Amino acid sequence: MKDRGLVQGTGGLVVFLVLWEGVVRSGFATFDYLPAPSAVLAALGKLAAGGAFWGEIGHTLLAALLGWAIAALVGVVAGLALGLSPWLRRYSLASIEALRPLPGVAFAPVGLLAFGFSLQMELAVIVLPTLWPVLVNTMGGISALSPRLGEVARSFRLGRFEATLKVYAPAAAASVLVGLRLSMSLAVVMAVIAEMVGNPQGLGYAVVREQQALHPAEMFGYVFVIGLIGILMNWALMAVAKRVLPGEFGRPLAMEAGAR
Amino acid sequence: MDAVFDLAGVALRLPVGGGVREILSDVHLSLADGEVYTIVGASGSGKTSLLRVMGGLTRASAGRICFRGVPVEAPPAGVAFVFQDYAGALLQWRTVARNVALGVERSLGKSECGQRVAESLRLVGLEGNAGDYPWQLSGGMQQRVQLARALAIRPSVLLMDEPFAALDAMTKAGLQDELLRLRDQTGASIVFITHDIEEAVYLGDRVAVLKGPPGTIAHTFTIDLPQTRDQIATRESPSFLRFRHEVHDAIRGHA
Repeated sequence: MKDRGLVQGTGGLVVFLVLWEGVVRSGFATFDYLPAPSAVLAALGKLAAGGAFWGEIGHTLLAALLGWAIAALVGVVAGLALGLSPWLRRYSLASIEALRPLPGVAFAPVGLLAFGFSLQMELAVIVLPTLWPVLVNTMGGISALSPRLGEVARSFRLGRFEATLKVYAPAAAASVLVGLRLSMSLAVVMAVIAEMVGNPQGLGYAVVREQQALHPAEMFGYVFVIGLIGILMNWALMAVAKRVLPGEFGRPLAMEAGAR
Repeated sequence: MDAVFDLAGVALRLPVGGGVREILSDVHLSLADGEVYTIVGASGSGKTSLLRVMGGLTRASAGRICFRGVPVEAPPAGVAFVFQDYAGALLQWRTVARNVALGVERSLGKSECGQRVAESLRLVGLEGNAGDYPWQLSGGMQQRVQLARALAIRPSVLLMDEPFAALDAMTKAGLQDELLRLRDQTGASIVFITHDIEEAVYLGDRVAVLKGPPGTIAHTFTIDLPQTRDQIATRESPSFLRFRHEVHDAIRGHA
């Protein structure tokens, strides 16, 4: 059932790739630097045989995961605190709303000045924008909880910490997870950008390097790899979430309720 | 004998908009051990507020509320709530067994907690559903889970806020009988809020009519029907019908 969904879901992609291949091979449209998917695949095979390729993947993966983990930790803790404390919210919501729309990319040059060509610079560029989805979704998840849950916690005489741990945080888990997923894809994007404009390492730098060397097949190869990393990271996060939050999955969704 | 609950001159005023709204005024009641005390009244008469005040979820503005002789400032130990909206009151991400454990998992050791949960689930007939999630159960079963969660703390009082109002008539009748059986088995007193007059008379040892706003107890009826109640025999007995009539009149203001 699930696997059939996956096969059906990739149908569109297959059609797209076949069309692309056909357009390039038939000479229907000619671009100097548009390789066919088969050429990209061949280039990827050659890259994978070399040593640098895996190191580049490792570097970007490390930067994205590390940055995402920092943002997730800070975002969940701050989001919980802001969601639970109206007082804290009153004093910081305006600042958050002012900082949140700042484009993370704009921090790249600032990060470069502050940290030089380094992993720290990448992390700074990744953490700042990825923090917001986690923080805002956690805070929103908490403040959208029904007051009933608070009454349940109080009537069973749970302390504030116990209630947060056992009632409020798990109740907001679905919305925290949305934030974590948004942040994760953003973390990959920001890592690649940081490597393109700053730290000359990893996949982002590789794309720029192959472009400047006029190796379009290799360049597209790297772009595909970046996309694949995003998909795999999301898949891994969902797999972990299904283990940690078994009660959140399988529950019928509103739009499915009538269909069953 | 000391009353389980003792309320005297209880008033509740809450700020609404710019002014103050009087929700409860001069409520007196005392609850005996093992008694089922049903409170019936129109919506908006302050039934839920009275229950919240008794359970320590809302602070009264005036008057005295004592649970076993001790003034209520916060939810006291030994008092358990059962809310109407089981879906909102149960922790949807926890299994049935872990929902039932919520009130005791901190104070009891692991094996004792497991035993207590099993015992509570047995009381409500859900021993086969320990591993299910609430959303996999019917409404009546979910309300049983909430009841089991309350029973797990071995309460001396159950505060129930229209617990069966969202259920169909058949499930409701079944749960009413189950509740009376649980009272006999556990000896817990029950304060039961409802807007259903028949339900109030059927379950109650006493029925209080709350009129408001501001809510105050206008009448109390001692229901001297036979202790063992039966959905058909009791409901068709002349004294049941008489009580139903009198409570009805009291709510409408003819008595």
